[in-house]
Amino acid sequence: MKHRASIFVEEAAILSHEACPGEQYILRLQAPRTAARARAGAFVHLQCDALLPMRRPLSIMRADAGAGWIELLYRVVGAGTRRLAQRRPGERLSVLGPIGRPFTLHDSHPRPLLIGGGVGIPPMIFLAQEIHQKNHRKLPGRTQPWHPLLLAGSETPFPFKPRPSQILIPSLPPEVIAAIPLMEDWGIPSRLASGQGFPGCHDGYVTELARLWLAALDETALAEVEIFACGPHPMLAACARLAREFGRPCQVSLEEFMACAVGGCAGCTVAVRTPRGPAMQRVCVDGPVFDAETVFR
Amino acid sequence: MTETRDGKAASDMLAVDFCGMDFATPLVLLSGCVGFGEEYTRVAGFSNRDVGAVCLKGTTLEPRLGNPPHRVCETPMGMLNAIGLQNPGVRHVVEEILPGLDFSETRFIANVSGSTVEEYAEVTRIFDDSPIDAIEINISCPNVKEGGVAFGNDPDMSARVVEVCRAATRKPLITKLSPNQTDIAENARRCIEAGTDAFAVINTLMGMAIDIESRTPVIGNNQGGLSGPAIKPVALLKVHQVYQVCRGHGIPIIGQGGVASAEDALEFLIAGASAVGVGTALFYDPLVCPRINEGIRAYLQRHGLSEVGQLTGTLVLND
Ligand SMILES: Cc1cc2nc3c(=O)[nH]c(=O)nc-3n(C[C@H](O)[C@H](O)[C@H](O)COP(=O)(O)OP(=O)(O)OC[C@H]3O[C@@H](n4cnc5c(N)ncnc54)[C@H](O)[C@@H]3O)c2cc1C
Ligand SMILES: Cc1cc2nc3c(=O)[nH]c(=O)nc-3n(C[C@H](O)[C@H](O)[C@H](O)COP(=O)(O)O)c2cc1C
Ligand code: FES
Repeated sequence: MKHRASIFVEEAAILSHEACPGEQYILRLQAPRTAARARAGAFVHLQCDALLPMRRPLSIMRADAGAGWIELLYRVVGAGTRRLAQRRPGERLSVLGPIGRPFTLHDSHPRPLLIGGGVGIPPMIFLAQEIHQKNHRKLPGRTQPWHPLLLAGSETPFPFKPRPSQILIPSLPPEVIAAIPLMEDWGIPSRLASGQGFPGCHDGYVTELARLWLAALDETALAEVEIFACGPHPMLAACARLAREFGRPCQVSLEEFMACAVGGCAGCTVAVRTPRGPAMQRVCVDGPVFDAETVFR
Repeated sequence: MTETRDGKAASDMLAVDFCGMDFATPLVLLSGCVGFGEEYTRVAGFSNRDVGAVCLKGTTLEPRLGNPPHRVCETPMGMLNAIGLQNPGVRHVVEEILPGLDFSETRFIANVSGSTVEEYAEVTRIFDDSPIDAIEINISCPNVKEGGVAFGNDPDMSARVVEVCRAATRKPLITKLSPNQTDIAENARRCIEAGTDAFAVINTLMGMAIDIESRTPVIGNNQGGLSGPAIKPVALLKVHQVYQVCRGHGIPIIGQGGVASAEDALEFLIAGASAVGVGTALFYDPLVCPRINEGIRAYLQRHGLSEVGQLTGTLVLND
């Protein structure tokens, strides 16, 4: 099969590089070709430093096709991200992107539940951005057809300053009011969870909030839910269990060590169940987004 | 189009006749790095026309799921991999994949693996009856339990595999040698007697990386094959050693191991290679091949050479 030229190599200028709490960084890059094609769930493969022989995969958190930039959020965990954190605005980084099968929103499920954990939050922000744009595209006779909820969990401080929400969610405990500022600006309800006792956050797992919300929905509303999740493996497994329990579809974004990130090396595979039996599929181009049912059981 | 002193078009300077195959350039994309030939065409600006040949992923008789994760990890100036020969089996490759390849772009080389001598022969026979341009036998895969490097380390076994594959095909037969052996030159000598047309030198070196927190190997398979710039000096010496055996027989070598620049490629040519493989470097820069081609061309012009073949084996040893 011929694959079309859908992934670009761009020498991207660093527009801004903001240090956030918890050794997390928000990196904005001028990468117009990647920005133009980016979708929620897609990622870029970055050269962090000329002295490292491999690139590093990072999810796209936001993209502005008009202005030609993409934004990434990462946490320093090792040599690659440590060196990346030292790069300054004005310098250039080689970006390979956008890569991967993105999240797919279905019109039949206009109540998307977005669940992000730690550095799995970025693709959920991007998906919320897509939903926000869909809601504000001028469609005659239809206003705000999508009713998303974003739940985010983190054990390190959130990379943004949580804000008390102006949007009421009756099924969640009233003391859980911390929200993501950007979501508030977009009018999208969001709530936060953490075991670290951050103010306004649910004290526990993000999937506990998800369960409370799902359990309170009536049958019609529940039938409109689709779950989207990105985060640590145990969180994704819990999301898959929730989805099964409530009979809802669930898309998860996975991580695995990568070499090429374009489908050439089979280095990034995960075990999935297919109609033709067990298979090893590549996270980079067959994913990173998979149907939870095919991965968790 | 620019011309060299003897009037040769600059684009022809890079052309290589490799076992009767016309390679547009001396570069070969290496097995296991580019899937079954089309994966990198996802990258805008990438073209199989920039290389002389593309080696497909290692193929066995039956489909293989390969090894558990992690299958790859970074190491100092290189990487470890233990993919475990994940492939859909030779029949699927011949029936479903080869018909989709554009043979006008480049030459496609199959890469054959097996757990038994008979399996090597059978896979080779099935590829013989296909449009594939040549067959590379991988007797040096470090990542499978039986076969692979177990054959490659033993000159008797290596020769056996070459002999049965030779009997199974009339297409050009390339034997891929392992660096994980005592006397690579002796092994090469035996493979030439057994009928190989060419060599690929070298496959990956066996290695390990350890996670000190969990005290477990990073690679799911515990050990893996080391590739990338870290192995280049080892690869150059092996190419030099194998070339001493090959030169008298007119047997060409695809030199490989850590090539990431025109300078690297030139070193391999000078050491005795007729073509140069690029694998791991693609992961860092998918558009590296056109740059290597440009660099080789500039070097040839600077040294008044009209074709790249004139460089092969021009190494002058110190007294
Ligand atoms: C599709 C995808 C999207 C990702 N998105 C984000 C994101 O938005 N923000 C973020 O902070 N992190 C993200 N990650 C994880 C990120 O790639 C790793 O944290 C990073 O590669 C670690 O590199 P290092 O050199 O700092 O760490 P080290 O631990 O020193 O890395 C050593 C090697 O292991 C690999 N590796 C280690 N951890 C991971 C991991 N979790 N996933 C993949 N490879 C790993 C590295 O690539 C490198 O080759 C994503 C991973 C994938 C696969
Ligand atoms: C991810 C990966 C997979 C590989 N798979 C194969 C294979 O299936 N068959 C084979 O003969 N060599 C395989 N190799 C070895 C390469 O073809 C090549 O010989 C080696 O990597 C050295 O070259 P390099 O340093 O340019 O990558 C693989 C290498 C890598 C990195
Ligand atoms: S990283 Fe090479 S196939 Fe996914």
